[in-house]
Amino acid sequence: MELLLPLLAALLIAAGVFLVLSRALIRLILGVSFISYGVNIAILLAGEGERRDAPPLLQLAGPYNDPLPQALILTAIVISFATTALLLVLALRAYQVTGTDHVQELADRPDPVRPPVVYADPEVPSVSPEIGTDADVDEEERP
Amino acid sequence: MNVLALPVLLPLLGGSVLLLVRRSAARRAVATAVSTATLLASLVIALRTFQGTVLSVQMAAWAAPFGITLVADGLAGLLLLASNVLALLTVVFAGSSLQHAPVRGGSALLNRARDAFGAQALLQFLFMGVNMSFLTGDLFNLFVAFEVMLVASYGLLLLGGELPQLREGFKYVVINVVASAVFVITAGMTYGLVGSLNLADIAQRVAAHGPDPRLTVLAALLALVFATKAAVFPLGFWLPNSYPVPPAAISAFFAAVLTKVGVYALVRTFTLMFPGEQLLPAVLLALGGVSMVVGALGAIARRRWRHAMAFANVASIGYLVAGVFIGTHAGMTAALYYLVNSVAVIFVLFLVAGLAERVGGAGYRKHGHLGLYPWLGAGYFAAALALTGLPPTSGFIGKFGLVRALLAAGGGLRVAVATAAVVTGLLLLYAATRIWREFFWGEADAVHRVEIPRVMSGVTVVATVLLLSLAAFAGPLYGLCGTVASQLDGNAAYRAAVLVPDAPPREGAH
Repeated sequence: MELLLPLLAALLIAAGVFLVLSRALIRLILGVSFISYGVNIAILLAGEGERRDAPPLLQLAGPYNDPLPQALILTAIVISFATTALLLVLALRAYQVTGTDHVQELADRPDPVRPPVVYADPEVPSVSPEIGTDADVDEEERP
Repeated sequence: MNVLALPVLLPLLGGSVLLLVRRSAARRAVATAVSTATLLASLVIALRTFQGTVLSVQMAAWAAPFGITLVADGLAGLLLLASNVLALLTVVFAGSSLQHAPVRGGSALLNRARDAFGAQALLQFLFMGVNMSFLTGDLFNLFVAFEVMLVASYGLLLLGGELPQLREGFKYVVINVVASAVFVITAGMTYGLVGSLNLADIAQRVAAHGPDPRLTVLAALLALVFATKAAVFPLGFWLPNSYPVPPAAISAFFAAVLTKVGVYALVRTFTLMFPGEQLLPAVLLALGGVSMVVGALGAIARRRWRHAMAFANVASIGYLVAGVFIGTHAGMTAALYYLVNSVAVIFVLFLVAGLAERVGGAGYRKHGHLGLYPWLGAGYFAAALALTGLPPTSGFIGKFGLVRALLAAGGGLRVAVATAAVVTGLLLLYAATRIWREFFWGEADAVHRVEIPRVMSGVTVVATVLLLSLAAFAGPLYGLCGTVASQLDGNAAYRAAVLVPDAPPREGAH
């Protein structure tokens, strides 16, 4: 056990980093989840050892595993669950908008060209579009 | 009820209520009221800390190293006050800007959808995270506060779901999730190694333990995380493209405050927890110098309003980080003054950029707007002078203090960073002048004047007046920064306030 858990944490984080570096969004998200699993195990390791005598509320004899890192992991799990859900929705939305889940294709896709707008807002008088839109800036700036 | 908890609880409550309010006008009223109340609470806290006292409260009366501690010293008070002033301005500006189109040629419908899908509520949660980061006295709670802040910022960045948002938002989320993973693993390792998560308690134990390479590793990991959040040079590549994506007021708050939260955490790490480190502050000082130059060059290169301003923000972060890590009292004083100045300057610049985008589109290469919008030009002029650091403004006072402290501290690295600071000032001057020449100067391209809503221009005027008052009241403010800086030197008052020796023992504990 002494060596097994650190190795497992290292393996999970390594797999996560490998996946994060790949070019498909879904693999990237899986990588992020792997990293958070590895992190949780690593925090669990911080609570190992014999230095805690008893949980603060109970009057029982020790030795105990430290409960605090487990509370930390619980918080970290909730947060990583939420961010993974967000990332999945984001990847789905990106796929719906662009039809691809490839990072490079997503980056190469030009921003949508917006037509010059005549404000329908009563507060704002209509504008003549002769100044141009974002589109002419984008042409100068595409990498 | 202790006033220290209010800046965290009020936005939480306000954000929750805002999710239930259905009418847009009612949402604006509620958000403004909540932010005003939060600002008042922050003002009370800040005024008390400015007298030299350190306020602290142990949540549910659990004694210090075990319970959750909220603590406010001068640094926290200063930042709390600054960020909540901006929060109120942001809420008012956003309330108006969400009713209108984001840029020339954009669609007002998109912004109305953002409003309907909880942009105001997310802003309140963002403020909650920011205030909690400044007030918490616990490393793990700092992590939680960062997460609250970041999750709210993900929402604000992504609301709308346009292609640029998805592209930049994905990068932003992944970078921050990975940085958070490093943060939480460092918190776990700190607990395993030091045996405590309370910042003041960590400080005591680290000081008692003496130098140890393992502690240096912890400090380096924390520096990595906070430098990523603060967008210091090699770690700040995510910032310049992602901050211009959300609506104007929201990106102004992002740029002005969120990066400073990272700087605040860096200050806490290296003045409170690991004051004995030698190498890491030198590395961060050098990186601050590089950030200045990179930011200024980026600001010259970009052709779009807020993209250029985002790079200017990187440059200003560079000054700030360099100032914090000079390592002398004069350096910290100047850095704190520059911090307040930079928060205000970046906020005004982003608001001006937002208004300019409303009237002229995202790019700034359209001439002759000065005749149509003279007051917008005046606001830009004041903020640009403060950004570049020319004499009558607060930017000059801050940068002059920084360069003088760098040269007084001596050493090859510090002189090099001082040189970079001066050169960056010139580069920023070029960038600012070019925007002035291309957007405001020259023969008018535009024929029709686009009306700027009163609320938006009003908020910009208030923010500009605040910026100018930083120069007008520079004497007292600089003195205050000196007091705060001497408080940070050693942090004796902070530790004494948190680790109260004769706290009443709790029932059942032993």
